[in-house]
Amino acid sequence: MGAFKFLFVKEIKQFFGNPFMPVVLILLPLLLMLVVPLAANMEIRDVRVAIVDRDCSDMSEQLVAKISESGYFILSSHEDTYAGAMDELGKGNADIIMEIPAGMERSVVRGEPVEIYIAANAVNSTKGSIGGGYLSSIVSDFSETLAGTPVAAGAPLTVVPQFRYNPNLEYKLFMVPALMIVVIVLVGGFFPTISIVTEKEKGTIEQINVSPVRKRDFIFSKVIFYGILGIFAFTVAFLIAHFVYGLASNGGLLEIYVSAMIFLVFMAGFGLVISNYSDTLLQSVFMMFFFVLVFMLMSGIFTPVSSMETWSQYVTYCLPTRYFVNILRAVCLKGSSFADLSFDFVMLSAFAVAINAVAVITYKKQS
Amino acid sequence: MEKSGYVIEVEHLTKRFGNFTAVDDISFDVRRGEIFGFLGANGAGKTTAMRMLTGLSFPTSGKGRVAGFDIWTQSELIKKHIGYMSQKFALYGDLTVNDNMELFAGIYGVPKAEARSRIDLLLDRLSLMPEKNSPVKDLPQGWKQKLAFSVAIIHRPEIVFLDEPTGGVDPAARRQFWELIYEAVDEGITAFVTTHYMDEAEYCNRISMMVDGRIDALDSPHALKEKYGASSVAEVFDILARGAERSE
Repeated sequence: MGAFKFLFVKEIKQFFGNPFMPVVLILLPLLLMLVVPLAANMEIRDVRVAIVDRDCSDMSEQLVAKISESGYFILSSHEDTYAGAMDELGKGNADIIMEIPAGMERSVVRGEPVEIYIAANAVNSTKGSIGGGYLSSIVSDFSETLAGTPVAAGAPLTVVPQFRYNPNLEYKLFMVPALMIVVIVLVGGFFPTISIVTEKEKGTIEQINVSPVRKRDFIFSKVIFYGILGIFAFTVAFLIAHFVYGLASNGGLLEIYVSAMIFLVFMAGFGLVISNYSDTLLQSVFMMFFFVLVFMLMSGIFTPVSSMETWSQYVTYCLPTRYFVNILRAVCLKGSSFADLSFDFVMLSAFAVAINAVAVITYKKQS
Repeated sequence: MEKSGYVIEVEHLTKRFGNFTAVDDISFDVRRGEIFGFLGANGAGKTTAMRMLTGLSFPTSGKGRVAGFDIWTQSELIKKHIGYMSQKFALYGDLTVNDNMELFAGIYGVPKAEARSRIDLLLDRLSLMPEKNSPVKDLPQGWKQKLAFSVAIIHRPEIVFLDEPTGGVDPAARRQFWELIYEAVDEGITAFVTTHYMDEAEYCNRISMMVDGRIDALDSPHALKEKYGASSVAEVFDILARGAERSE
């Protein structure tokens, strides 16, 4: 215990004596949480539609007005021919073409089916497909209004998608928990790694290794100190998530913090294992990047696990981030509690304990 | 705890890296309270041998006891009884003089009040009192070395290992540094010093000369000079080093 106290104080003095690191600690969650969700927005808005209205009736005008009122579309141009609209699409001035056939109003009145053509530019596939989807749902909505109930013959079927827990399909609500995880990965994983490898590069670790300091005192002085910093950065991120984006209004503060702490302990231990196997800062940072990329891209932080290939879905069980992501999203969006998430908590803790044991074992004072 | 008057006893110590034999079957003893000079050219194996004695690396074969403890099985006990100053400055440059001293006094378990008085004594002796709160990295090289030495003996070890402690400083600073070593030895600490400055060898009670991983000569500077008919330790070294196969 004795040495631990002195090593811990040493970490504090080193960190706060550095003019750069405390600033990073505050700016990192601040910028990540405030700027990225606004910039990296995957919501579809402002889809540009080129209209080819061959009917030029009251009804076609109503339909066009309805589309522009929806708020998702900008009517970029009105063309006389489909070819003209294609031209606009080709030049990149429009994302979607909608062609209203001649005699639509007449056909509808007679109860005949009408086909409206929608062509979407799928180069930006998300915009194309989601925009096309929105458009067709507006059209079918419109046709239903026209036909009244019961639906007249030939009116297209209406599909009303229902999104639960994130009713407005706000991309930010999906993104913000992910960024909170990124904050922990960066502060909890990279900071201790950099600190140990710097000791190796400067040679100070040798002065420790030649002393009777116990391995675990040295390791835990890092894990605990950087764990506390991680909790601080996470708190900044969480406050922003809560007050700026309205996240976790369903409570669950305890679940969030307990899981964050376990995950921090895991990340710190993981960083230490990496630093035990690297001699230079460059080496350790590259190794960390490799694993962090796998952690982030394969555990459902940015893309849902359920839409992965089956084999890679199994792989995600080996990634502790998967459990943390699960917990965080479930608590933030659904208001889940410990009882609902016991499997994730157990798995996350098991990873944290195991990796720290490996960190202590692989740290060699004597070569 | 030593039955004998020896604080270091080494028999047939060998360290190989792959098929390179860095330390080749060396045997020697160091007496309590002496200054033992461990001489050799760069690459002769001095640092490797010292790292085995200080519990930083395991030997490939051979036996050794330091401060009465076995280098194979009791390295953590050895570490309690030795001080070590590495060739490369290894204190925390971003911490102050005082912080470094408190840290190392603390991790060696020096009681708090005792630590305070020892630190003040050392600061005073090194005339570092005014620099007490400046970061160590801002000190000139000669002062850094004196500080590193003081930190290495802050817990009053039985033996202090010094790996080329005076590299890169002027002769005056080196002389001052040796005065510190003498003061420590007067307090009963045994000094084990590697160096390639042959003039410094004259300050030692006994010296060993390492060539190509082997110890080719071991005696007092005076006896060695007589044996080889040389006027200085440097000349003795030249005679021995002529047979060396390893170059820098």
